[in-house]
Amino acid sequence: MSTTTNKEEFWRWHEYHRIMPNIKPTNKDLITAGVDVGSVGSKAAVMVNGQAYSWGITRTGSNSPESAKKALNYALKDTGLELTDLKYIVGTGYGRVNVPMANKAITEIACHAKGANYIWGPSVRTVLDVGGQDIKAIKIDPTGRVVSFLMNDKCAAGTGRGMEVFADLLQIPIEEIGTTSLKVEQEPEPVSCTCVAFAKTEAIGLLRKGWSKEKVLAAYTRAMAVRMANLINRVGLEPDLVVTGGQSKNVGIVSRIETILGVKCLPTPNWREGALDPMAAGAFGAALLAKALYEKEQQT
Amino acid sequence: MSKEKTVERRYLPEISQKEMAELKNTVKTASQKIIADNIERMKKADPHRPEAMKYFDDIANLFGRRQQEIQAEKERGKKVIGYMCLFAPTELILAADAIPVRVNSGWYDTSKVGDRVVPVEVCPVIRSTIGAKMIELSPFLEQSDALISVLTCDGMTKLGEILSDQTTVWGMNVPRVKDSNQSLRFWSDEIKHMKAQIESLTGNKITRKSLKEAIANSHRATKAFRRLQDLRKANPVILGRDAMLVNQAYSWDDQKRWTEKTEALCAELEVRVQQKDWVCSPDTPRIMLTGTPMFWPDNWKLPALVEEGSPSGVIVADEQCSGERILNDPVGVDEWSMDDMLNAISERYLMASTCPCFTSKDGNEDRINWLLNKVKESNVQGVIYYVIRGCMLYAMEYSRVKKALDKINIPVYYLDTEYTREDVGQLKTRVEAFLELLNARVDF
Repeated sequence: MSTTTNKEEFWRWHEYHRIMPNIKPTNKDLITAGVDVGSVGSKAAVMVNGQAYSWGITRTGSNSPESAKKALNYALKDTGLELTDLKYIVGTGYGRVNVPMANKAITEIACHAKGANYIWGPSVRTVLDVGGQDIKAIKIDPTGRVVSFLMNDKCAAGTGRGMEVFADLLQIPIEEIGTTSLKVEQEPEPVSCTCVAFAKTEAIGLLRKGWSKEKVLAAYTRAMAVRMANLINRVGLEPDLVVTGGQSKNVGIVSRIETILGVKCLPTPNWREGALDPMAAGAFGAALLAKALYEKEQQT
Repeated sequence: MSKEKTVERRYLPEISQKEMAELKNTVKTASQKIIADNIERMKKADPHRPEAMKYFDDIANLFGRRQQEIQAEKERGKKVIGYMCLFAPTELILAADAIPVRVNSGWYDTSKVGDRVVPVEVCPVIRSTIGAKMIELSPFLEQSDALISVLTCDGMTKLGEILSDQTTVWGMNVPRVKDSNQSLRFWSDEIKHMKAQIESLTGNKITRKSLKEAIANSHRATKAFRRLQDLRKANPVILGRDAMLVNQAYSWDDQKRWTEKTEALCAELEVRVQQKDWVCSPDTPRIMLTGTPMFWPDNWKLPALVEEGSPSGVIVADEQCSGERILNDPVGVDEWSMDDMLNAISERYLMASTCPCFTSKDGNEDRINWLLNKVKESNVQGVIYYVIRGCMLYAMEYSRVKKALDKINIPVYYLDTEYTREDVGQLKTRVEAFLELLNARVDF
């Protein structure tokens, strides 16, 4: 569960893989996988009869097929399983057409819907997926099917990549960025520029004015949470609300969305304690859809 | 004697001959490639493409056969009258033995040239048409002896004014409220005034006989047009893109020949219906497009994404002024007197239009009714509401359309984009997720 952390790279988040100890796959089991190649992170999940068995989360490289392989190998690591044991693989995410081992590509929107339904159960109606380079608000039914969705325009504002830029700028490790942004006595006005490039300039100005790092981070996080809340309102907020993608781990974002919308999100399971990681929700969803597609193929 | 020598340009900057030639050359080469690519992709998407499409592929080359034909006609003394909106009464143009051509521009590259004159917030249809004029790219725009500019949306209103720097432009003031007698009277006067202008430019008198013939020819075209749209209502025998190209080609093709070729296409498709020779699986999601017009050739990215996606859909209907609105409604004449024909033309161009420039007591109810009827008739499963940046009227009517479609449980997806080619990856995810959503209603 450890990777080398370079102290200079504040944006760097944990790459890790995990195996559920209570599941012992045999050759009678239906084993499927989902590979979600995002713009920042690549996630892969292996499921045994529709139950999460193992997953791996890595950084996406410059080459989508390589990133897909790397993520899937990471998920398979130490499981004793091999690629040939996987009956069906669904590729998803920005690089979904470049997942060489996939039987089928499905959009991350459908996969996050299914994945959120798997992680939190049938009460979920609204999913906010904050990815590396875009944000999606998805309304789903009790079976995890997409009812409607909205996607922000091509812009890194409020996305994982934008947060990485701020982690570097303020020299705060990315995994502490949420708690740090909450260390302010009073919530400052949000930054006025949502564009990452402009917001960075604005933040530098605020630091020069003598604002603390925490206060600047709070102002930026607030602005991003407002954007996300707007997207949720536009798609039509219906509880239960959950957050998926890397930003689900950013307590600064999640708690501010809750304040703005006046609802509680279902809590983010703690991956450090071995729980299902919402950052890999797309991969879980893809592996579940892989199971459904495989079974459908067997019937016909 | 030419206009640009005597009139000071109010909008358009001077561009050196050298720069203009370079730009024109680059953009034209790029455009020819895009036209060829689009057609190649359409062929690939339907390996068993109707034979009759060959003719339309040929006409789709904006720098090809049709340009030469019009040029030859011009040399024989015919006048060409260009128009930007469907409100232009083409029967009057045809009755004066002139050639009507639509000149809205679908080029992304020329929209960037247009940015020198108007800000990027302006709709790309407008920017692109301005840019095309600046580098003299568009054959039909250049061949036009006069342009009919109908004051519909804000962009169109100013477009005519800007183009008048370099060409003769006739404005037509369309009333924004349809359901009132004074609007119809006002519009009838505009139509009569247009008749006089056309007669004066061409030197040809529009007679009862010539107008009757022009209306009859348009009726024949409408019949062929409707026959094609009817064929799209049942199991798919033609890809949406092919039908859209046929529909749009009407706006620059020779009317009689277009009618014949469309009838021939329909005959071929009717055989396929008999043979149950579907162009794609009958359970492919049936999509309808509405919103901003999609002009050939660059603004073809959404139809291509829908029909080449994974999963894919098939476009079976549209409510667009670049598509099914073109010829859907015939001019309804009771008595073939000049007055009656002119009144019928006025009514057809005003009352039948579902352009979002209208408002009235019931809101733009005609558009809603068209959409709801189409959904029912064409067995539409999902609607893509297409808006390009700066297209205010369509953007603003979305909420109303969504409510109407929600009521009948038809999913609608709002897709906002630009002429740019750079957002195709993101659009692909959005379109495919919508198609998955439609599939999931019956599948998974």
